Amino acid sequence: MHSQLRVLRVLVEDNPGVMARVSGLIRRRGFNIQTITVGPSTEPGRSRMTLTVDAGHAEVDQVAKQLDRLIEVIEVEDITDAPTVSRELLIAKLDKVPPAVEQYGARLLAAGIVELTADSETVEDFIEFLKPFGIKELARTGPVAMRRSA
Amino acid sequence: MTGADMVLEALEREGVEIIFGYPGGANLPIYQRLPAHPKLRHILVRHEQGAAHMADGYARATGRPGIVFATSGPGALNLVTGLCTAFMDSVPMIAITGQVPTAVVGRDAFQESDVIGCTQSVTKHSYLVTKVADIPRVISEAFHIAATGRPGPVLIDICRDVQQAEGGEFEYSYCSVLPGYKPALEPDPVQVERAAEMLAGARRPVILAGHGVILSHAEQELLEVAERSGTPVGTTLLGVGAFPVQHPLALHMTGFMGTGWNIKAVQNADLLMMVGMRVDDRVTAKLSEWAPKAESFVHIDIDASEMGKNVRPHLEVVADAKRALKAMASQVKPPPADRGEWLTQIDAWREEHPLKYSRSNGHLQPQDVLIDMYRRCKDDAIVVADVGQNQIWAALWWNYTKPGLFINSGGSGTMGFAFPAALGAKFGRPDKDVWCVAGEGGFVMTAQELSVAVEHQVPVKIVLLNNFSLGMVRQFQDDFYGGVRSEVDLTVMPDFVKLAEAYGLKARRVDKYEEIKPAFDEAQATPGPFLIDFRIDPEANVYPIVPLGKGLDDFWELPNGA
Repeated sequence: MHSQLRVLRVLVEDNPGVMARVSGLIRRRGFNIQTITVGPSTEPGRSRMTLTVDAGHAEVDQVAKQLDRLIEVIEVEDITDAPTVSRELLIAKLDKVPPAVEQYGARLLAAGIVELTADSETVEDFIEFLKPFGIKELARTGPVAMRRSA
Repeated sequence: MTGADMVLEALEREGVEIIFGYPGGANLPIYQRLPAHPKLRHILVRHEQGAAHMADGYARATGRPGIVFATSGPGALNLVTGLCTAFMDSVPMIAITGQVPTAVVGRDAFQESDVIGCTQSVTKHSYLVTKVADIPRVISEAFHIAATGRPGPVLIDICRDVQQAEGGEFEYSYCSVLPGYKPALEPDPVQVERAAEMLAGARRPVILAGHGVILSHAEQELLEVAERSGTPVGTTLLGVGAFPVQHPLALHMTGFMGTGWNIKAVQNADLLMMVGMRVDDRVTAKLSEWAPKAESFVHIDIDASEMGKNVRPHLEVVADAKRALKAMASQVKPPPADRGEWLTQIDAWREEHPLKYSRSNGHLQPQDVLIDMYRRCKDDAIVVADVGQNQIWAALWWNYTKPGLFINSGGSGTMGFAFPAALGAKFGRPDKDVWCVAGEGGFVMTAQELSVAVEHQVPVKIVLLNNFSLGMVRQFQDDFYGGVRSEVDLTVMPDFVKLAEAYGLKARRVDKYEEIKPAFDEAQATPGPFLIDFRIDPEANVYPIVPLGKGLDDFWELPNGA
């Protein structure tokens, strides 16, 4: 079966309750949120979300179409199959900081805490690399993404 | 101007003439100011669910949004079923609920509930108003959202202190644009041309028309497309009336309780054009066995998310049904020479699978009641049906040439809908006769609104098809669940004639075929509301029917000679 995962860029009105509307709709339609990031956009009063959503038993284009029905959703762009750049941030507190974290593009953020900004696959690899050194705590943002310039 | 006055003033500006509501602690400021706005007629319901269904019936009968008031907590929550009913059937409605004061929101105050959270999935949109200055903008947006595109209910939850607050000068501008809401109305001409070509190229085409055709008043355009292209037309339950059932091209109702000839046509069609409908499970029965011979599906709907939600069309036309059909009407081609074969075949199916019922057991048959009622409707009365067997009988025996006069809860299937919705329809269309068809099970769910009918002398005629059981559930248990009759017996019910009299309206009971006519005569001669308790055959069933989980081809019908 082909992947039901969709990556969506969504521009929303920055109103109270918008997150609840988006997540409520995704639950009700039988989809499942894998990652969600949200922050201010360049337009005042509007926020930018990046969502990774499993369409579940629905047709994959339903995720974007259903989101688009929400009044406070201004724009939905399904970038799953588009050429994009995607980055997420990881910070991890370790028992022991490994010697060569720089080879992953990571850096020491504070004593015993490393930071990495990379695509999700690299972040996964990095976590595997860290495991033998004892991960005490770990936090990931989930990806933010945009289309490459044409 | 206070927030309360702003609410009422805004409703006046939007042309509201009637509100269905119930006061309480959290909307007291609005009710305090209501008498100062005599243009707004208020109907005090006896339960908030009644208000929601009345507003729904009003909206379906007039095309204008129905307005509901309720207080916070239980008042607002009693609207949920009514909101869902309107949402599922794309009915414009605006519910204005009182909320506890802003200072105590989130503190589990008396009669506080998260009304926005509770209604999010059954409203087109909703607002929590915590600033008095927002009231005019919110109300104008709500009207725009509720009534345009694919219509639906909008809820506005206003904190009590905001209703009381002084908001300065009242300025109102009608909303027509919202950044995140742009209903697609005009069809893409290329797609319309393609749709017309596909229709012309089909050998066995069928058009199915849904509620969207009625909502957009596209019945004339539908008729033109059908006649010019020689294409037979069926309707969904909510589309009943969108195409005249006596027309030679009519297939009548589709779906798992549709007519036999409709089912045969759908299952043998090589092209299906679905207009203004969701293609839901009641239309398709088992989806994988639906329309197995169709080589192409054309879907016309105003809501892009309906494209491919249930059936992936080969051609999508996201547009208002009226505009799409109008554009198509000028482009469709006359039918090919061999179209007669397809139509002859459908005529043969109509002969082989007619609608029928049996009088052999001596009981009063619901179909006899409805046939007499429809004879009196003269193609002009509004008929509001409840949910269950009564609904399907009312749909199948429909005989109108005109659209928009059959009202029922199709998507949500809300028992108790018909009677308050019929009252709302009559409030909105006093020029029309209004008949309410209901089973006794659904009727008692909202029968408290009899007081509203009596208080305002609303001349709705109630046709109670009383079979002493939850008939549809009983039929499903008999036919599909091993004949185990479990908790469907409703023999212990009020004497409905006495119940009506206790509420203050006239009523009569009918047990025999011969009594149908005099009872209807009396109902029609009586100026106010009237109830007829038709004690029908307790074993009467709805046929055709497709067993749950089966495909349309497996439909059952009453055997010949039964």
